[in-house]
Amino acid sequence: MEIEHVKGKIMEGMPGFPRQYGPVRSDHQPGVPFFPQESARDFVLIFLLVAIMFFLSAVVTPFLGPARSPQISELIVPDWYLLFSWGLLKVADIFPQFTIGAGTPLKTEFSAAFWGDLLSGIPVIFLLILPFIDRGREARPAKSPVRSAFGIAFLIAWIFTASLYSIREVVAQRWQTPNGSPLIDDIAMKWFFVIPPVLVGLTSYIGLRRLGYQPMRKWLVPYVGGLTAIVAVQSAAILFMPGWLGPQVRPYIVQLVIFLAILLIPMAVASFAVFRLPESRARKWIVRVGVAGAIAFAIAYVALEYTGAANRLAMSWVLSVLEPSMNTLLLMPIFAVVTGYLGVRRPYSTYEYLLNECYQCGKCHTVCPVTKVEDDALGGLNLVYNTFKKQHDGVPLWTCLACDACSAVCPLDIQYSDYILEERSKVHARMAADGGSRE
Amino acid sequence: MPYADLTRVVLETDQRQLPRSHAEKYELKTIWYWYPLYCLGGIAFVAFVILTITGILLGFFYVPDGRLEINPTTQNLTNPAWNSMLVIMNEIPFGFIVRGMHHWAAHIMIAAVFLHMCRVYFTGAYKKPRELNWLLGVVLMLITIMFGYSGYLLPANNLSEGAANIGINMTRASPVIGDQLARLLFGDINTLTGVYILRWYWIHVFILPLLGTGLMILHMGLVWLQGVAEPH
Repeated sequence: MEIEHVKGKIMEGMPGFPRQYGPVRSDHQPGVPFFPQESARDFVLIFLLVAIMFFLSAVVTPFLGPARSPQISELIVPDWYLLFSWGLLKVADIFPQFTIGAGTPLKTEFSAAFWGDLLSGIPVIFLLILPFIDRGREARPAKSPVRSAFGIAFLIAWIFTASLYSIREVVAQRWQTPNGSPLIDDIAMKWFFVIPPVLVGLTSYIGLRRLGYQPMRKWLVPYVGGLTAIVAVQSAAILFMPGWLGPQVRPYIVQLVIFLAILLIPMAVASFAVFRLPESRARKWIVRVGVAGAIAFAIAYVALEYTGAANRLAMSWVLSVLEPSMNTLLLMPIFAVVTGYLGVRRPYSTYEYLLNECYQCGKCHTVCPVTKVEDDALGGLNLVYNTFKKQHDGVPLWTCLACDACSAVCPLDIQYSDYILEERSKVHARMAADGGSRE
Repeated sequence: MPYADLTRVVLETDQRQLPRSHAEKYELKTIWYWYPLYCLGGIAFVAFVILTITGILLGFFYVPDGRLEINPTTQNLTNPAWNSMLVIMNEIPFGFIVRGMHHWAAHIMIAAVFLHMCRVYFTGAYKKPRELNWLLGVVLMLITIMFGYSGYLLPANNLSEGAANIGINMTRASPVIGDQLARLLFGDINTLTGVYILRWYWIHVFILPLLGTGLMILHMGLVWLQGVAEPH
């Protein structure tokens, strides 16, 4: 009792031990004061932001343009944050247009504008119901891969492609074949709504699951193999099916074959790697072919584009074959190789990813059989928590039985023994690197 | 005693501190490299404050009248709103820089709001018990987008005309009440009268700020009460 009183006297006024007035507040914890610490940091950010705004408004004066008039001829493009809605309005003409309830007060015309309204409402409705359809407990992106992959595909990729479609006229004018037709035609742009988001979603899903230590071969083989098959079939159709290649492209078939090979070979190697090779070798091979493919494509492009008018003409005819099929021929090779890499890559360390969810309930320490016999493990220790704090947890590395009793009681399913086994294997790897002798 | 120490002692004595986050309270190991993403909501709010200040300044000089008229000297089609924009840009001292600040702060705010929403989505911060705050956030994002839309209607230039036409057509396409809704929001079912400028001016400077400020206070109050959902 006396010693507590003395301790209280000594600690009073020290950082983290504020004076207590009135009854003891158990909820109060020492923290960073708002002023001057927090506010100093905030003001730095605020001044930086204001400086950026001043700089921007001094350098880029906002556009005003001519006064409004009922006859507008030029292309109207809204600000960037409304482009997605404008793109959805433009694509809405693919939907059937009809009227229901004609002649009644509830007449509803499913016109392109109404379809555009409905499509623009989809993201809003999704956001509104989101917290009620996703009731899971996991907060980290890698721990809930479906939610994260869907978000990347829908909120980022889909909104982006929808925005891109709103400037289809600009795209059609900017990139044209030598005979003046648009290089990226309307159909390719429309498929852009579907194929890139799906590819982005699947790739993110595989990459995120891999972050959470899942073996992803079951997903990788059909995905990468399927993409390779699609590109292979389409390349074969382009080259051998009569009537696919126009008469203008025929003379440049050698260049076209080279480009198709540059796109197809890395995919084929990647699908073979994920299908047959062990993970470490697959990883190396996918990185190699990916880099080689990118370099080869760049060299082939530069070699044609910047070496005389005849070669440039050849390049533009080759592009006139590749670009309209950009969703398959250009995007799929990239996604196949990147997914192959993400799916077999070495995930984060267990330490960062799995152990740090601990909230110190101490159940693991209670059930651990080792802590019952280790002398220095008595009192105040916590297996998982102390491990990720890099402090003594009561169980020396080589004493753990890997019995998994701790994981069995862990409310957060933290796999402590996995961590122990990985740490041991790291020690073995170090020993092997040192020549195999025991420490 | 140095000043900083003095204030620290005063504040600690008073216990006037920011509420500690869950991770701080339980000494959880947080994923520190995500922390920069946690200032996006604050950036949006700072931009909003700057928008309010510059908006008040612009309001002294802007004329919310979009009715078409003929300029007697050049015989070009013009309108008082656009003329007042010319005055702000060319004659008012620092007018162009205030308008520039208003313009760029708006872009920064909308970008920050969108990125803030992405951060909340990907860190799962909308989950129980923060559903209400997520819904408030969605409404606030829509309000921010409406702020942006109404903001670029106001200069009464070509972009304004085109955007108003798209807006009117999209509003009119809604079933049953389409035309009435368009009359309510835009004053008319086309842009010829130019009354849409006055409508959206009032929405831009009164209705949206009123709703937005109220909801922002609620939004931040709930964050204060419920704590920041940290990545851990």
